[in-house]
Amino acid sequence: MPTRAFEHTVLPHLDAAFNYARWLTRNDADAEDVVQDACVRAMRFFSSLRDDDPRPWLFAIVRNTWYSRVSRRASTEATPLVIAHHDEADDALDPEERLLQQHAVAVVRTALEQLPVDFREVLVLREFEGLTYKEIAAIVGVPLGTVMSRLARARDRLMAVLKLTVPMEIVR
Amino acid sequence: MSCEYVERDLDAYLDRELDAAATTAARVHLSECAACRRRVAERETLSRLVRSAPYYSAPDRLRMRVLAQTTRPRSARRILTWAAAAALFISVGTGISLWRSASTRGDALAQAVVDSHVRSMMANHLFDVASTDQHTVKPWFLGKLDFAPPVVDLASIGFPLVGGRLDYLGGRPVAALVYERRKHTINVFVSPRPDDAFARAYVQSVRGFHVHHWIRDGMSLWAVSDLNDSELTQFCQALEAS
Repeated sequence: MPTRAFEHTVLPHLDAAFNYARWLTRNDADAEDVVQDACVRAMRFFSSLRDDDPRPWLFAIVRNTWYSRVSRRASTEATPLVIAHHDEADDALDPEERLLQQHAVAVVRTALEQLPVDFREVLVLREFEGLTYKEIAAIVGVPLGTVMSRLARARDRLMAVLKLTVPMEIVR
Repeated sequence: MSCEYVERDLDAYLDRELDAAATTAARVHLSECAACRRRVAERETLSRLVRSAPYYSAPDRLRMRVLAQTTRPRSARRILTWAAAAALFISVGTGISLWRSASTRGDALAQAVVDSHVRSMMANHLFDVASTDQHTVKPWFLGKLDFAPPVVDLASIGFPLVGGRLDYLGGRPVAALVYERRKHTINVFVSPRPDDAFARAYVQSVRGFHVHHWIRDGMSLWAVSDLNDSELTQFCQALEAS
């Protein structure tokens, strides 16, 4: 029964699909709509999955669904980089702890959300889902070298925005 | 090797995407160059920071909406078509499954492992005992199972133990130990008396989940997660070495 097989194979990855969509759209309502549409498409094209890994397959469908909505709306993606100032760090912590504390979760989230979407998505697929460059290349539809350079540039930008420098004392 | 080479391949090195020769070359350079070690440390800290950002779980209403769509009632005519197809499928399927049963015993167990993993996440019944303390989790199993599962915390390498529960696998009670990596859950199922037909190490990918199986001290261990395979392998190696 295709329905049963679909529920069995695809639905366990609904959280991963939603997380990816949420980082693409940056809001709950749009992410829910994207994932719901994507699931309808996934159901329709379920036979194309065969024995492949359903996770990258589902990510690709989520991305295509999102992309067709965005181009329909012709929405633009231009947000200024404004990062909140973080609190003074606690000197009693070791250097690494101090760094982590300085960059509270909210600051990191904002910095990530303000990256251009091309950079943001490769970082989310790599850091949260641990996908390989090859899998990311297939999902995003770009050559492997592009994935590599986008990741490097995304990280460079984040480092600059978060003013991240590691004290020499923890570099052994 | 020069710094600019390492600079160029820095991300690929950290993401473990370099081939063996390039990885070795990068390591040699790093052992000699403090500036590049610092670059690596900065990137590693950045990775940890990024991973501290929220992982958004699908809201329940979305799950319900998707389920409602995929299980929409069909017209009677389509149901008849499906019934005919199903009958054919079952008759053919039975033959195939008999023929395959010997070679796919492991696959069936791996399927059961994934089913248990998914059930534990969906039913919101991940733990009977929620604790990051191995000295709390281990005694919790006393008197509930006729064996003592090995319980170790791997928080020091980024896989904290978060709890344990009783579960069933292949109709037998097993110990389920729950670990976390970022927002990904790892279930480790432990049972004594490994199945003789299946007493070997085993790695498989089932429906987007990775499954590792190995035998240790006469116990059968299954680790399962939607975590990527290289990190799950790292976890399994650490568990084996503990």
